[in-house]
Amino acid sequence: METILIAFATGLTTGGLSCLAVQGGLLASSLSHQIENTVQLKQKPGRKKIPRKSVKPQFALPILIFLLAKLVAYTALGFLLGLLGQMFQLSILTRAILQIAIGVFMLGTALRMLNVHPIFRYFAFEPPAFIRKKLRKTAIEAKGSDLSTPAFLGFLTVLIPCGVTQAMMAIALGSGDPLQGMALMFAFTLGASPVFFAVAYFTTRIGSKLEKHFMRFVAILILVLAVITIDTGITLAGSPISLSRLFKTSNSVQANIIPNTVENQSQVTSTTDQTNPSNNSDQYSSGTDAESFTISINVENYGYSPDVIHAKADVPIILELKTDNIFSCSRAFVIPSLRIQKILPATGVETISLPAQEAGKKLPFSCSMGMYTGIIIFDL
Amino acid sequence: MAQKITLKIEGMECPNCSMILESMEDKLDGLLQVEASYHKEQVKVEFDENKVTISRIKAEVQRLGYRVVDEG
Repeated sequence: METILIAFATGLTTGGLSCLAVQGGLLASSLSHQIENTVQLKQKPGRKKIPRKSVKPQFALPILIFLLAKLVAYTALGFLLGLLGQMFQLSILTRAILQIAIGVFMLGTALRMLNVHPIFRYFAFEPPAFIRKKLRKTAIEAKGSDLSTPAFLGFLTVLIPCGVTQAMMAIALGSGDPLQGMALMFAFTLGASPVFFAVAYFTTRIGSKLEKHFMRFVAILILVLAVITIDTGITLAGSPISLSRLFKTSNSVQANIIPNTVENQSQVTSTTDQTNPSNNSDQYSSGTDAESFTISINVENYGYSPDVIHAKADVPIILELKTDNIFSCSRAFVIPSLRIQKILPATGVETISLPAQEAGKKLPFSCSMGMYTGIIIFDL
Repeated sequence: MAQKITLKIEGMECPNCSMILESMEDKLDGLLQVEASYHKEQVKVEFDENKVTISRIKAEVQRLGYRVVDEG
């Protein structure tokens, strides 16, 4: 349930703007008929002067129909993704490549919106000519009831998901459950709808100058999201170098030099080595024998604690992952270089056995989205 | 007699501008086929020169909010 709420909140906060940037064109197209009708009505010679209010295009209903169709389409897509995830378990590397590809797409989209170079126009999906023709004919045949166009275009948005939606689609895919995937996409799309509606509704009224400024703002927002998405993809690929890790490492180094501080650093201690167990009982767990060592990590909603762990080389390690009412993606724990991925329970303890690692080896770990990271350094 | 022309367009902001430009086909008599491309910023028009002139087509493009920068 909490995951669904998070999906809804994500839609509410970032989904609306991001989706509007990518799918706004389709919405504008569905509204163009309304606008055109108004223009024709205004221009028709010999017609009695019509009060301004009565020729104002009615945008609210087409936008609502558009969003409703979009909601239905994405809910169905969520179901299919969950089903697909159930059938094929995506490897960590595949997910990392997918994430980086999504980031590159977002980057291209942002640069296209900023008119950096005509080449970036190819980052926008242009429906094939036959679909455009079919769409036009459908709109003409609908005559008075123009609502079929926004409905059809609402369905079509499924072909051009925005970056945030794609990230949510990846989560739906990763859920490996059709119902969970469906609920996730429904909650996210529903969450994105109010912002989408409000911005679309007012944008049609605020004029093209302001609209240009707004689109620039959205483009910059997408640019930032693109960098984050690519960075999380790099993290997920197991690279020890990424923006988030660089930032994290510098923090941890500072923490490491503070004497008697255990918050950001863990050590692995064998039973025989441990001199003061009461000091370490929370952060460090001792090994059960001299040959194996246990590292205890608290999995939190916003990361892992400790996130920089110094461990002994050349001995097997047991990772003990503790969760307590955790519902974020930190529960989907991965160690890319060892191809280990584990979905942790919301509350409980899960153990992972790691083979002995050579001295100096660094083992990055993260959540399955690459957002929350940590590293085990075998230097003891 | 059918003629073909390719117009280079300025002002196509999104892929849906293609649809808007292609809507000329339904409004202007004498247009046989209109195919626009947002990627290439162009519109290919096949028309009957006995029914419609190039300048009339250009004027329609302008009316839709775009600018013809080149033709070939």
